[in-house]
Amino acid sequence: MTQDRPENDYDNALSGWFSGRSPVAEADDLLQEIFMEIWNQAKNFSEQKGKPLGWMVTLARRRAIDGLRKKQAYARAEERLQNETEQQPDAWVHNATEEEIVLGDTRVLIRKVISSLPPAQQQAIDLAFFRGMSQREIAAKTNTPLGTVKTRLELGLKKIYDGLKDLKDEL
Amino acid sequence: MNFEQFQNQSRLYVIGALEAEELEEFEEARKKFGKKAEDFISKSYALHEAFALSLRPAKSSDAIKERLMAMVKAKKQS
Repeated sequence: MTQDRPENDYDNALSGWFSGRSPVAEADDLLQEIFMEIWNQAKNFSEQKGKPLGWMVTLARRRAIDGLRKKQAYARAEERLQNETEQQPDAWVHNATEEEIVLGDTRVLIRKVISSLPPAQQQAIDLAFFRGMSQREIAAKTNTPLGTVKTRLELGLKKIYDGLKDLKDEL
Repeated sequence: MNFEQFQNQSRLYVIGALEAEELEEFEEARKKFGKKAEDFISKSYALHEAFALSLRPAKSSDAIKERLMAMVKAKKQS
């Protein structure tokens, strides 16, 4: 990971996180804060603890959820954000490197694994991971018993986790 | 808690979906299983990467890049 160029190719993945989920200006501000944090914290990254993207996503998610919670406290932004679920259709088109091709293949396979889950499991995971909701909050929002939410999350995450193991064998 | 239950809880833990009362039990099991537990938690963080990759990539705006590089340059000079 180079400290001279924090907005490297990973920015596509991190930008994708925010697209369609927040108004553009807010997403831009948040993304900028995250890139700065990555740049400032790069010295603390250890390859022994995982891949750079995983580390960056952990940082980004934490910051994104903090931002989301602050906003919810003031403006009940939750409802508005949850209605904005469409992803931007236009991918960034530029010269593909070998790494990007592999990343693209991985992306397709991961999407395949996630889209194979029942919709209720996908929804539970989306609410937990991308919106930072607790199991109780998910239960209340979806009008589902807490035990069912827990089961959906556990089953869905296990399938994805197992799918990732298979995927590593394929790549 | 057996190790299979711990694995289920670990996946919830890494995405921050464990409830407060489950966390205590999880931390106890984490100590009980030691290195095996830590290894599994580390592997579970791969889920973060998977979720990021599951999203359609989007181009960040040129304005962000300009602002960011200006901030980086200023920080390097200070």
